[in-house]
Amino acid sequence: MVAGTHPDDLELFDYVEGDLTQARLAEVQRHVSECEACANQVRKVEIGRDALRESQFMHLPERRGEAVFMNLPTKAREPGRRRALSPKQLLAVLTPLIAVAAVIGVLATDGPGGDGSSAGATSAGGGSAAVDSSGAEAEGSRLRTVLGPASAVSDELRSKGFSVQVLDERVVVSGATPKAVRRALADRGPGDVEIVVKGR
Amino acid sequence: MEDPDAPLVARARRGDRWAFEQLVERHQHRLFTLAARTLGSVDEAGDAVQEAFIRAWLGLPRFRGGSLFSTWLYRITLNAAHDQRLKRRPEPLDETREPADPQDAFAVSELSTALQEALNELDEEYRVAVVLYDVLGCSYSEIAELTEVAEGTVKSRIFRGRSRLAELLGTTAAED
Repeated sequence: MVAGTHPDDLELFDYVEGDLTQARLAEVQRHVSECEACANQVRKVEIGRDALRESQFMHLPERRGEAVFMNLPTKAREPGRRRALSPKQLLAVLTPLIAVAAVIGVLATDGPGGDGSSAGATSAGGGSAAVDSSGAEAEGSRLRTVLGPASAVSDELRSKGFSVQVLDERVVVSGATPKAVRRALADRGPGDVEIVVKGR
Repeated sequence: MEDPDAPLVARARRGDRWAFEQLVERHQHRLFTLAARTLGSVDEAGDAVQEAFIRAWLGLPRFRGGSLFSTWLYRITLNAAHDQRLKRRPEPLDETREPADPQDAFAVSELSTALQEALNELDEEYRVAVVLYDVLGCSYSEIAELTEVAEGTVKSRIFRGRSRLAELLGTTAAED
């Protein structure tokens, strides 16, 4: 004697997925244990589920990924939005401003009793560092962000023969191609560490 | 639900190609799995994924974050896969052509399994439902949104899809 009426498909599905309430679970469990048709149905659904869940995740062939990047068209800007400046454009805007700031600094400290030479040297030094820092970014290509910390990423790249520096929590790789670096970090998941590649 | 892609999407919407490339790197394999498992062809799946990313890049200004970015990408990929299917020639492409590179060969071998042969036999609505749920781990609500049906219908499709798949796998095993 089969307990109760046959559960419908949705209820059997919830039974397989473990989504039934405790009270209903006991009833369906009793029914399935006594009803061969429902037991068979549950078995098939479990076999299908297990086959699918054990299947491999597939990887897009690398040449296809590269083709996506190469074929991205230039698109229209979002209406009402101003386009962000590229690092090179930013540098072009900032350099004259830094120069003006340096001159003002020199004039201000060259006032009565001021030591003009040391103030000028400090300003110029600061300006130069800023230019070097943005220059490095302007010349490099930024890759995907990867799981850190930055020191672990740089150690991994060094162990694979890359020339690496860590600057402001960014990993800067010199003398390599973006593709080579991307390959070297292929097993590292996404994260917060930014990778900048400066070409040969 | 907070979208983990939101910061990159915001930058990509302003035309930042680098941000979009991060999104491509993050999602490319999941989209390829979806396309390859639903189309059953590596070549067609590669074309569909390329096309999907280009459509996504161009369509980003219209993406308002009403759903997860990944759900939006799946929708575009399913549409691109559907378009690939419409272009299909009568004879299957992969049976006669040598794979171009080892990575393609690996993917082709993945699609030569009994599981894929069984998936190819399923009705498209069942195939899409089981791949999204059991392979990619999407929720019922995401699948309902993607396929424009009620959540109950999604569950029913997964139930019937798995059940039919088991029958087909049984047949295949017996023939082997």
